[in-house]
Amino acid sequence: MGQSAMIDVRPMPAVTELSEPYWSGTRRGELMLQHCVDCENPQFPPEVSCTHCGSASLNWQRASGRARLYSWTIAHPPLLPYFAARAPWPVVAVELEEGVRMVSQLVGLEVEDYEFDMPLVADFEKVDEEVTLVVFRPAESK
Amino acid sequence: MSGRSTVGGKSAIVGIGTTEFARQIGRPEEVTALEAIRSALEDAGLNPKDVDGVFQVEGQTGEPWDVAHRLGVENLRAFSTTGGGGGAAAGPVVWAATAVAGGLCEVAVAYRARNRGSMQRPWAQSPARPTDRRAFDLPYGLVAPAQQIALTARRYLYESGAPEDCFARVAVAQRDHATRNPRAVFRDPITVEDVLESRMISDPLHLLECCPETDGACAVVVTSVERARDLAQAPAVIAGVAQGTGHRHTLMTNLQAPDPLVWPGASAAQDLYAMAGLTPGDVDVALLYDMFTPVTLYNLESYGFCGRGEAGHFVAEGGIDGVDAKLPVNTHGGNMSEGFLHGFNHVLEGVRQIRGSSTGQVANVDVALVGAAPVVPTSSFLLTR
Repeated sequence: MGQSAMIDVRPMPAVTELSEPYWSGTRRGELMLQHCVDCENPQFPPEVSCTHCGSASLNWQRASGRARLYSWTIAHPPLLPYFAARAPWPVVAVELEEGVRMVSQLVGLEVEDYEFDMPLVADFEKVDEEVTLVVFRPAESK
Repeated sequence: MSGRSTVGGKSAIVGIGTTEFARQIGRPEEVTALEAIRSALEDAGLNPKDVDGVFQVEGQTGEPWDVAHRLGVENLRAFSTTGGGGGAAAGPVVWAATAVAGGLCEVAVAYRARNRGSMQRPWAQSPARPTDRRAFDLPYGLVAPAQQIALTARRYLYESGAPEDCFARVAVAQRDHATRNPRAVFRDPITVEDVLESRMISDPLHLLECCPETDGACAVVVTSVERARDLAQAPAVIAGVAQGTGHRHTLMTNLQAPDPLVWPGASAAQDLYAMAGLTPGDVDVALLYDMFTPVTLYNLESYGFCGRGEAGHFVAEGGIDGVDAKLPVNTHGGNMSEGFLHGFNHVLEGVRQIRGSSTGQVANVDVALVGAAPVVPTSSFLLTR
């Protein structure tokens, strides 16, 4: 069967019409979340409608950036080449104060010191002119 | 009860068929699919031309009408392809039973052919610039299913307080069944130490806690309970069927659900038991999707065999060890040891348990449950004698 070569770069988001407010927010150093105009619930990742009530009326609001560590894993090869070259590679899931959860990375902390539910704050890691990723660091170290 | 449904108890699985399972089978999916289907029809005492319904799982070569064409079917009255990846393992049986009960067709085949041992893994084709939800996961290195499941698995250990080796116990229990199953690709006994010493894939998951990719095909024949009585085999009556997603489910991680550790399987389970008029306590043997060891635990909780956070303790106390366990599970070896037919091999094992013909036969089986991957949009059914 076909074996196509794996990408050798770190995957990065293609900024779409739907996700543009999120990525322009990270470039400004702001974590933006979609909220439903009708039921007021926040959601992540961006969707074309509210996943709580189905409403098509959504707006974007700045999140506090406060979060807690929900869980993590440490990925070992086989991995995409970019991550394999830097393995073992930790990935975390955080729960934002607003209630949504997101996949991210922790900075400023060794993986041995990760603790469930530890308080975190959002930080921003500029990749290039278009993409700035949201990462998290321990709340007290900011 | 079956009060809210006209499907439960109206149809039965009357034939099962399979190819061998192998790391590389050397024949295309179109060919292995027909081998399994012909074998299932022969088992039932039916002919290819009797078929008027074809139901398949997504992600294989060939459409249902291609199969019907190759079988010489005069008119394919009912067909569908169920989505949801591993969550679709029970889906073709769900829809075959529904179509037969509803009179859309009379003799349905449901099948899965899967040459994945011969293929590159889907995650290896990850795009450099994802445009969809993966745009929020791939940059951080959350790429493969093992990593996605490992995220909730670590949280599961924390919230439940279950012993760290509870996942490994699943792999060992299933391998023990496989040692007696000549179809199984992996038949050498393993210990908890073997599992924990196998190399780390995505902490806390080790190599022997991840199912291997294999090739093969499986098929079953579904018809009405009336017609089933005249056929070659004792029928395995389809007492209830279900699909489900739960609220705000996202594939594999479930991170946007109110509680990520309550999976789509739990939603399917409620409808399944209600349709069949059965409870978890009635189930004598469970065939539960297991592409990674924690997923077996998630299924034990989804289908009500254990409360939330209790499955790890249950397994660590030997709850699924052997054919006389409190709840015998995956008596063929599961995806992890028999072969990764995307859970469709669990369908066939459910029928063997009802017939009394399994190599891991449980005594006096009246009710068997088949549950697909509970961590994606899912499906399940209950079989009775």
